[in-house]
Amino acid sequence: MTMVDGHDVKEASTLAETAEEVLRRRAESLARETLEEEATHRLALLLFRIAEEWYAVKVADVREIFQEYEITTVPCVPDHILGVVNVRGEILSITDPAKLMRLGAVEVGGSVQPPAIVIVADEVATAMVVDEIGDIAEVPDDAVEPPISIIDRAQAEYIAGSVHVGDLMVGLINIERMLEPVTTGGRH
Amino acid sequence: MVEFDRSAFIAKFQEEAQDLLQRLNESVITLEGDPENRELIDQMMRDAHTIKGSSRMVGLIEISDVAHWLEDIMVKVRDGEMKYTPQMSDYFFEALDAIVYLADNNGVNEGGLLDLDGLKAKLSALAEGGTDAAKAAEAQAAAAQDASAVESPQPAPKKRTRKKAVPEAEAPDQQGSAPSGTDEPEGADEQEAHEDEGDEGSDSARQEEKSAAVASKTAPGKKVPDELKSKVQATIRIRTTQVDSLLNLISEVVIGQIKAEQRANEMRAIQAATMETWQTWLRMRSLLTALDEQGVAEGLTEDMNLLDTRLSESQRALSAFVKDYTEDVSRTSLVVNDLQEQGMRLRMLPANTIFQTFPRAVRDLAKQFKKEIDFQIEGGDTELDKKVLEEINDPLVHIMRNCVDHGIEDPETRKKLGKPPVGTVKLAARQEGDRIIIEITDDGAGIDPDKVRESAVRKGYISEAEAAAMSDREAMYLIFEAGFSTAAIITEISGRGVGMDVVREFVVEKLKGSLDVESEVGKGTRFKLTIPLTLAIIRALMLRVGDQIFAMPTGSIDETLRIDPAEIIKVEGREVIRRQRRTIPLVRLSEILGIPAQPLEAAKQPIVTIGYSGHRMGFMVDGFVGEQQIVIKPLGSHLKKIDNVAGVTILGAGEVVPILNIPDLMANARTKSGQRVGPAQRAEREGPRKVLICEDSFTTRELERSIFEAAGYEVETAVDGAQGFQKLRDGLKVDAVVTDVQMPNMTGFELTKAIKSDPTLMAIPVIIVTSLERDEEKAEGIEAGADAYITKSVFNQDTLLDTVDRLIR
Repeated sequence: MTMVDGHDVKEASTLAETAEEVLRRRAESLARETLEEEATHRLALLLFRIAEEWYAVKVADVREIFQEYEITTVPCVPDHILGVVNVRGEILSITDPAKLMRLGAVEVGGSVQPPAIVIVADEVATAMVVDEIGDIAEVPDDAVEPPISIIDRAQAEYIAGSVHVGDLMVGLINIERMLEPVTTGGRH
Repeated sequence: MVEFDRSAFIAKFQEEAQDLLQRLNESVITLEGDPENRELIDQMMRDAHTIKGSSRMVGLIEISDVAHWLEDIMVKVRDGEMKYTPQMSDYFFEALDAIVYLADNNGVNEGGLLDLDGLKAKLSALAEGGTDAAKAAEAQAAAAQDASAVESPQPAPKKRTRKKAVPEAEAPDQQGSAPSGTDEPEGADEQEAHEDEGDEGSDSARQEEKSAAVASKTAPGKKVPDELKSKVQATIRIRTTQVDSLLNLISEVVIGQIKAEQRANEMRAIQAATMETWQTWLRMRSLLTALDEQGVAEGLTEDMNLLDTRLSESQRALSAFVKDYTEDVSRTSLVVNDLQEQGMRLRMLPANTIFQTFPRAVRDLAKQFKKEIDFQIEGGDTELDKKVLEEINDPLVHIMRNCVDHGIEDPETRKKLGKPPVGTVKLAARQEGDRIIIEITDDGAGIDPDKVRESAVRKGYISEAEAAAMSDREAMYLIFEAGFSTAAIITEISGRGVGMDVVREFVVEKLKGSLDVESEVGKGTRFKLTIPLTLAIIRALMLRVGDQIFAMPTGSIDETLRIDPAEIIKVEGREVIRRQRRTIPLVRLSEILGIPAQPLEAAKQPIVTIGYSGHRMGFMVDGFVGEQQIVIKPLGSHLKKIDNVAGVTILGAGEVVPILNIPDLMANARTKSGQRVGPAQRAEREGPRKVLICEDSFTTRELERSIFEAAGYEVETAVDGAQGFQKLRDGLKVDAVVTDVQMPNMTGFELTKAIKSDPTLMAIPVIIVTSLERDEEKAEGIEAGADAYITKSVFNQDTLLDTVDRLIR
């Protein structure tokens, strides 16, 4: 098992490296899966921090990570949609998971934008802003446990499970829930 | 009737034929190994039949002939008159190759490469007497070929007459076998007949073409197959999504190019600044030289010379670079413009691609309604974005149905009115700048604005006062309201129980266009659809609300005004302005969009007025930025539908600007200013919808119940009209009543009348589902006040649900 070597604050400049690392790990894990048909499959997780808590998404659900971007606000959207961003001609929504999970808000609009993780499922994508990107951790896929019961109701629906990574307990994000299509305004 | 430009359809035929031919080729191979495969035989016969029919439609007679021979053989195989043997495959392949070749060459036997007569001889011999006969025919044909090569000019007319005679002679044969089994679709036959009828003029031309092709035949048939193979891939089919992502990338390239041009300008500015530095240096140098005449500072001259050289060198290098770079950029600019144009053209198709189906549809409708109609098409070669074409089909069909159903009077009435008995419906398309205009004109009864007003008031769309204040033109727009129908009732024929609101929905919401209707009672009606050339690009007014820029599609904008705040008056607590003797209610766009309002900066208040389906509204904004073309992009996969926002666009410098959604804005503005009455308010009610089904037949009742329940409705039932009415009287709240006509105690008509004359119930839509289809019965339904009339003969669950859904909204 790969240990998480701490969760020290990463500089913005290392983001590209992180992304590369994500891809490298993914390639490696894919290669490994085919090479050694092990009994236990391993799950690669990308860790990130919101407020004081650590969360994770499966590396397989991550399309890219970016940091330099400009948010365009869109009227009449729910609170947790910060707006949209232009990624190489593609328009992506920006989701603040902190607002969804009632953990305050990820600070945007400062001198340095918070990192954004683009998560994808069933061709629906959003860029999720987080306070900090952590490491990539590999865990056996049976290490994912049901979410711990003490978490807040508002949070619970966005958490698919919990995983021990080293001495950390991280919440695995329910990305299907997070990617549920957003609709506002009634039919006229 | 209408003369088509066939060339547009040939491409369509080629596309269709490609798939069929591919499948036929594969089928021949499979059939070799499994000659008894009934399914396969049927399919091959159908495929050959389809090719025959559609090639005939587009005037490719030679292809039609070859396909006909193939079909003939397949019919025999199917009916057991002949066994499929592997030897036959060769002939099949030859025939298929011939079709491929002809299809690729627009049906012309270019240079007479194909020995069509020989092929025909072989195939008909095959059909008559199997492979042996065909072999004999082959030998004969080869001999004939040699012979014809020698005595060249004479055989041509002979061949022509023979060819023309053959399909006719064979026809009875085919008919003899067809009824026994697989259906020869009647439609195809009719279409063929129709085609022949309307096309006598071009028949002789076709003859000439054919004789030319035959006469020029010189090359031996053997050469053909090599030529054919390379022709197969002349077109490729690409998924539209792929084209779209390509276009997406192209628009990124365009943006990149705009940026490059900006950079080039910046470079020139830098160059100018450097030039100034250089000038300054030159002045300074002469001063220094003068100062140092005594040679006090040793080495200064040397340094000065060095600096001088360096500076002039870098100055030259920069100039050369800027010049080259500017040239590069402008060259790329041309290419990028071309790229964009060509890219857009990838999606363009002639309007005829969809128009071609209309003459038939109109003819059928005319028959159905016992009307006589001359249908004309103009401008079918106007090119439109494929996506636009797909979306425009339904609205056009709907409008034409309306013209036939409600517009054109029956021949007797027309005669009485002194009109020609044959009504005219004209469909015309043309391009005007960056938009396409499609007009549908009829010379029928026209729309009476007073009747529309009356009906709108009765149904609660507008108040009496509003109706009185409306101009005739605005009143006419009411026909585009959901659930509204000019005929006071919906029949399934005028669009599956759907009102003209579909038309509006498509044109305005989906196509970002505008819709206009002009009518003169007794003279006729003209619908005018204005659609952007492509869905990707529209004209938009850029305006400012708060600190943010928004794009508003110009399609529905009436005016942009700068009004002196003193001209804004308050009426019943609402802000309005007077324009041309009309009162236009005002709303703050910032309020609709939920953006903090800004105090008025300028002396005048900027206002955009929008006219949308009969309503006019003024939106107060914080500033106008300008009008420009914008590329529409969806909000992304995650934001499925956002109130008031139709999408975004990316401006030259890369900034993202939201595009406003006019229908949403209008609906929200009307709600906000308290103008929405009637059906719209009902729609805002929460909870499942409830219908009351009055039907004496147990089976029908339960069938309808299951349909509605499956669609999420709550269902109440009554076994007759009296029971149903009692339930309503007792306070049962439903969103719609679905009733049969013939029931004991109280008929559906009586029930309808009872509901519509009870002030507490009259707002409930009544849908009559009945087997009575005669016009008099429909008229009775109308009189009773039913909102829709669905006949059981065309009954299907979609019709029913659609109708109810529309009426409830």
